[in-house]
Amino acid sequence: MIFELLAGNLTHGLLLGGVYGVATMGLSLIFGVINVVNVGHGQFIMVGAFVTLILFTALGLSPVIAIPVALIIGMALGFLFFYTVMRKLIKAPELASLLATFAVGILLEELAKLIFGADFRGYYWDVGKIILPFTTIPMSKLYAFIGSIAIALFLYFWFSKTRSGTAVRSVIEDSEGARVCGVNVDWIYALSFAIGIGITVMSGVLLTMFIPVGINPYMGGAYTLKAFVIAVLGGLTSPYGAFFAGLIFGLVENGAYTLFALIPGVAPFSLTVSLAFWMLFFLLLVKPTGLLGKK
Amino acid sequence: MKKRIVLLVIGFAAVFGFLLATNALAIDKVVIGHPACLSGKYAKAGEQAIGGVKACIDWVNNVYGGVLVAGKRIPLKYKYYDCESKKEGVTSLIERLITVDKVNVVFSAYSSGLTLSGAPVAERYNMVYMDHGGASDRIFQQGFQYIVQTIGPGSKYHVGTLNMFDHFDPKAKKIALAYEDSEFARMTMGGAEKHAKKLGKKIVFMRTYPKGVTDLTPLLSDMKAKKPDIVLGGGHYEDGQLFARQMSDLDINVKGLSLVASATLPAYYKALGGNIAEGVLGPSHWEYGVTFSPEGAMKVGLDWIGPGQDEFVKLFKKALGKDITPDYHAAEAGAQVLAYVKAVENMNSIDQDKVRASLGKLKFMSFYGGWDVDDKTGMQIGHSMVDMQWQKGKRVIVWPLEAATGKLIYPKPKF
Repeated sequence: MIFELLAGNLTHGLLLGGVYGVATMGLSLIFGVINVVNVGHGQFIMVGAFVTLILFTALGLSPVIAIPVALIIGMALGFLFFYTVMRKLIKAPELASLLATFAVGILLEELAKLIFGADFRGYYWDVGKIILPFTTIPMSKLYAFIGSIAIALFLYFWFSKTRSGTAVRSVIEDSEGARVCGVNVDWIYALSFAIGIGITVMSGVLLTMFIPVGINPYMGGAYTLKAFVIAVLGGLTSPYGAFFAGLIFGLVENGAYTLFALIPGVAPFSLTVSLAFWMLFFLLLVKPTGLLGKK
Repeated sequence: MKKRIVLLVIGFAAVFGFLLATNALAIDKVVIGHPACLSGKYAKAGEQAIGGVKACIDWVNNVYGGVLVAGKRIPLKYKYYDCESKKEGVTSLIERLITVDKVNVVFSAYSSGLTLSGAPVAERYNMVYMDHGGASDRIFQQGFQYIVQTIGPGSKYHVGTLNMFDHFDPKAKKIALAYEDSEFARMTMGGAEKHAKKLGKKIVFMRTYPKGVTDLTPLLSDMKAKKPDIVLGGGHYEDGQLFARQMSDLDINVKGLSLVASATLPAYYKALGGNIAEGVLGPSHWEYGVTFSPEGAMKVGLDWIGPGQDEFVKLFKKALGKDITPDYHAAEAGAQVLAYVKAVENMNSIDQDKVRASLGKLKFMSFYGGWDVDDKTGMQIGHSMVDMQWQKGKRVIVWPLEAATGKLIYPKPKF
């Protein structure tokens, strides 16, 4: 029975971990390239959730179609916020960009509240379930996981096989050196910020495919916190590290419950939540640069 | 001449004293202050509460004619701010309502946690603090002098639900309790555990989950393994949505599912979509269709005040400017306005100590049902709950049988 439960929870944890990973890649990319900690990160996830909800409920479009739409909307928002807010703050003290992204997050929340109200909404996308011997998996969760793998691979190929991706990597390594070599660093900043936001908004779509309820203007806060933990686990500047850290986070979050439930007199769920932070604490002690972070 | 002046002064003093004593000089309005949940996690319940308060104020001012104090009809006013469903918002706004807006009574925000956080502030200013949204018994075990409850105590929420399951299926013995680790839910499920044991049921699963949870899969998988007949769970609106949705994802089909403070909200069915909400139950302080009336009040020897049920619904829709049906959050907030009016009128004063004493003795009935509090603690003891069930997109009262507007669908249809 315990093994069945563990297998089920680990399966769900792996699927959710993939989505968490993608939800954090944008944060790591932005931090890696322009050295800005986006504390309004979760609010962009919320935008993606609302994009899915509207396309599904108002236009009857599948959440799968919402993925590219979210990327386009996210990148447009990314360029908009970069050229209006972030560009001037790249060389400013870190606190300035921190406050600016915080303000952008609040602005998005309040705009969403103005347009959609503060209700908790949801949608019902029934695409069947897979019944395994140890658990049941809705197909929508599986699609979300496949989507997250596809996005991670897309980012990998963009990073390693394209000229613009190589330029981004060079800016992460040494922005001044890249500038000397002829890289248009300002454009790379803008592009990276836009792609980072685009991926984050897309991850909002994937999250609603996983959990299609509780969509509201204030839903982002919980994901911001998780994304920060995952980003640090993954090494902060490494989007791949973030993805793998997301998978580990999902596995730990779900798998540890089963083990904690064996201890009498404890609330396993609460312990599971704190475990992720303990894990972060010990990792920082042992390897302060995170899993895939470089010295 | 001197004697005449002295007589004049004495006469003036007597008239002034009389006017002061009757409050007629100072009062031209009675102001209800409210740190309301317009945004944040309790926004849905907060909107309902505001609608309920406005509807009953409308009735008091325009149908009843105002609050009768010292022979004069005085209008009620409503001053509210958005506390953003946050404790720091509640405490600072109560302070502001009392010191800046000079309100005459403070209504609590929604939820046990927020109500409890505001109580010491109201207490510091000796201000009557009326609780329509905090059900935890613990609020009333702190020794606060000025708090009075309209919503029923949390420990009684599932008493009727369990009685109902026992009535329809005494063989359904295995009960699972899975709930938010919050003040309210702990109290509710603690009461349910106690009552279930009293009925001879077996608690096969009892676990909490943290506030703000976004995935309940591990907990629900664990619960599924225990094969319960009946599941009682939830805590608030958003986790109640998540709970039913993920039970459906994991194919956890049980005979009965009752979720506190979420399933009763009109938006619940739509938010879940499909047939996930079908057959889900929720304990409620009030539902449209209850049969409280002035005649019923007379039969049990209680005073009646306030609009009838349909009149309340009409006023509620007018107050919010939306065509939505009020739920119990609206009804209890509205009934609280009526309780305050009765208490002021019975004491012929808006003095805080006198109103609090009057509320302690007050017994009446309104569209919301009975109202009676324990004089010492302020805890509600006179209001009984009903259980509703979602049936084809409609909320149907299924328990108690004498208040039922439809039959219980049992066992619950599969997800």
